[in-house]
Amino acid sequence: MEVTIAHQNDEIIVSLDGRLDTPVAQEVAEKLEPLKEEAGGTIILDCSALTYISSSGLRIFLSLRKAAAAAGGKVIVRNIDDNIRGIFMMTGFLNLFEIQ
Amino acid sequence: MKKYRTGLLLVIVAAVTLEVTAVIQMYFSQKGIKAEASLRAESELEATQCEILDVIDQAESAVKNNVWIACWALDNPDSLSAVCRRLIENNPVVMGSTVALVPGYLRSLPLYAPYVFRDPSGALTIRSLATEEYDYPAQEWFAKPLESGEGYWSEPYLDEGGGDILMTTYSAPVRDASGKIAAILTADISLDWLSDMVGGIKVYPHAFSLMVSRTGQIMVCPAETLVMRRTVDEIANRSGDSASIRLVNQAMRSGTSGNLPVKYKGSKNYVYFAPVERTGWSMSIVIPESDIYGTLRRIGGLIWILQILGLAMIVLIIRSYDRSQTKYKALSEKKERMENELHIASGIQMAMIPKIFPPFPDRNDLDMSAAIIPAKEVGGDLYDFYIREGKLFFCIGDVSGKGIPASLVMAVTRTTFRNISAHQDDPALIVTMMNASLSESNENCMFVTFFCGVLDLENGRLRYCNAGHNPPMILLDTIHPIEVDANIPLGVVADFQFSGQEITLRPDSAIFLYTDGLTEAENLAHEQFGETRIESALHGWRCAEEHLRNISDRVIEFVGEAPQSDDLTMLFIHYLGKENPHRIILRNNIKQISRLEGWVEGIAGEAGLDLPTTMNVNLALEEAVTNVILYAYPEGMHAPVILTADLSPTAVTFTLSDNGTPFDPTAAPEVDIDAPATERPIGGLGIHLVRKIMDTVAYRHRDGKNILTMTKNIK
Repeated sequence: MEVTIAHQNDEIIVSLDGRLDTPVAQEVAEKLEPLKEEAGGTIILDCSALTYISSSGLRIFLSLRKAAAAAGGKVIVRNIDDNIRGIFMMTGFLNLFEIQ
Repeated sequence: MKKYRTGLLLVIVAAVTLEVTAVIQMYFSQKGIKAEASLRAESELEATQCEILDVIDQAESAVKNNVWIACWALDNPDSLSAVCRRLIENNPVVMGSTVALVPGYLRSLPLYAPYVFRDPSGALTIRSLATEEYDYPAQEWFAKPLESGEGYWSEPYLDEGGGDILMTTYSAPVRDASGKIAAILTADISLDWLSDMVGGIKVYPHAFSLMVSRTGQIMVCPAETLVMRRTVDEIANRSGDSASIRLVNQAMRSGTSGNLPVKYKGSKNYVYFAPVERTGWSMSIVIPESDIYGTLRRIGGLIWILQILGLAMIVLIIRSYDRSQTKYKALSEKKERMENELHIASGIQMAMIPKIFPPFPDRNDLDMSAAIIPAKEVGGDLYDFYIREGKLFFCIGDVSGKGIPASLVMAVTRTTFRNISAHQDDPALIVTMMNASLSESNENCMFVTFFCGVLDLENGRLRYCNAGHNPPMILLDTIHPIEVDANIPLGVVADFQFSGQEITLRPDSAIFLYTDGLTEAENLAHEQFGETRIESALHGWRCAEEHLRNISDRVIEFVGEAPQSDDLTMLFIHYLGKENPHRIILRNNIKQISRLEGWVEGIAGEAGLDLPTTMNVNLALEEAVTNVILYAYPEGMHAPVILTADLSPTAVTFTLSDNGTPFDPTAAPEVDIDAPATERPIGGLGIHLVRKIMDTVAYRHRDGKNILTMTKNIK
């Protein structure tokens, strides 16, 4: 699992590459924790290379979303594949995020 | 050496103190006794002096009373003898009397001295002293008073005619009317009473009295033959110690009183002396020093002996104290050393047995734990295990006795086990060979109850041999002691052939080994923990570590305040069996979840699941397993989670089982997926996903196990 964070035109682009399963979730959460301070802007979670996500991963997404809601920002999930879209559907996450 | 010096110092101090005390006491005692002796002697002297003076006074009075009569009789000289006669008759102490005219006083009688005396028969006889041979005017008794005009006591003398009686004469001048001395009146006094009176003084056993005249003649002394025949000076000359005698003699003759030490015939004496007034005599009491200080010296001697004895006692006490101190010190040093060595021995002993748990963290087919609680510092219990060529070799043993000897045998037993099992797979043979080896050198007749097992981890085949040890408990379908042959303990009969047995452990079964320290753990009421309590404690599946902790807790609770009487050793082996395409064993560690993906893909391939379904199934299983890992076991516990898959043409059924805390994930409330982000709880998604992905989800808790069954239908 690789996570890269890039700032681009007032947007924060987080690229997730690989499987976001339980063993790696803790590490990823720690990496993304500082973003909550910038949650007033736009955070884009680029999932084009994300192959798998478990509830631990979803939890990270949700906590970012909550931070954004509190700070008046927004979280955009971009480029999810069908499998992950299915998981988003099952968990109601499709309604929580702006999916691009 | 320092101790010795301290002891010596103590003895010296005690000796000096005792001696100084004794010397001071002796000094003051001597002073007191001397004062007492002086007092006694002086009072005796005074009393005797009074008695003597009494007689002297009588004699003087008798003479003085008759002086006037004699004065009147001067005109008639013939009547002078009558004066003498009356004087004698009226005074019993007077033995004879004369009135001697001063030559030339009467022209008619140039020399006249009628002498009246008591003859031996007691009758009064008269004799004239006015003879040419006697020449009375030249005699002392006549000349001295005439010269001085005073009364005069003559030197004592022995009356040779009257039976050697000691006599003295008092003579006084008789004056005529004009005051001129006309005659001398005398009275001869017998002094035979003097020796009785003075000689009778007995202040001390060996004391004696001595009376001397003004010329140093001996008047009274214990040796009567010396009386009037020797002077003190003569005696002094004869004895070797003349100086002190002369000194006393001089003092006595000078008419003083006092006391002086005198050496006579080698022994020291004290002489107390006092003058008898008017007579020029001196009276003394001679007291040998030995008489004065005799008692004191005897007491002193006794005290000295007591002191010596006391000092000897002190020396003995110090020596025995020293010895006991030395012994005590040696003992405590020995004890300290022993304790130290025990600590080291304990450390070595503990280092010998595998005690890092989980022992095989990389193995998923085995969950085991062991504990040894020695009753004393080092114990005689042992366990050991290791894996060689896919086989788990394990053993448990209990050496008879406790403490160091038992621990030594334990160490030897363990080494022997390792050596022999290194190239031998058959427990019966291992035990037989160990027995032969241990019996060979078993001079102390110590024996070891022993159980040895070899578990083939490939197939669960357990071969074992029991040498008189408590049969281990098998946790298969039920909990019961394993069947064992009646073999004898190790170290008893050297050539004993031990028989082995075998059973097959199904995956997910366990064996619990223990020593009698567990069954025989006693509470204060002397009840034993017993097998029944063990069996009930083993009920309910736990991981190995939890099992041992649970049993320890139960034993501690059972025993209460009673002291631990025996070593307690336990070994729990949970055989989880092999993994296969349909069975995966995960440890209680999040990282193990990564192993799921490959296993699920295998199943999915077999069941013909499409990729998205495979991923979803994987997701559901991950969520379920994560749930167990996070909530079923305490963090860090190396416990197993077993996941199996059953394939049928229409469905795949996954069964997840663990031995952790009972937890029903299906009881969790549904997550409201339509709620807005701010109201969505962070947790609960995992179970939700399991429910969503799987077609049926069922939970049950059986035999202490959490069993979650999840079915995915195959379309």
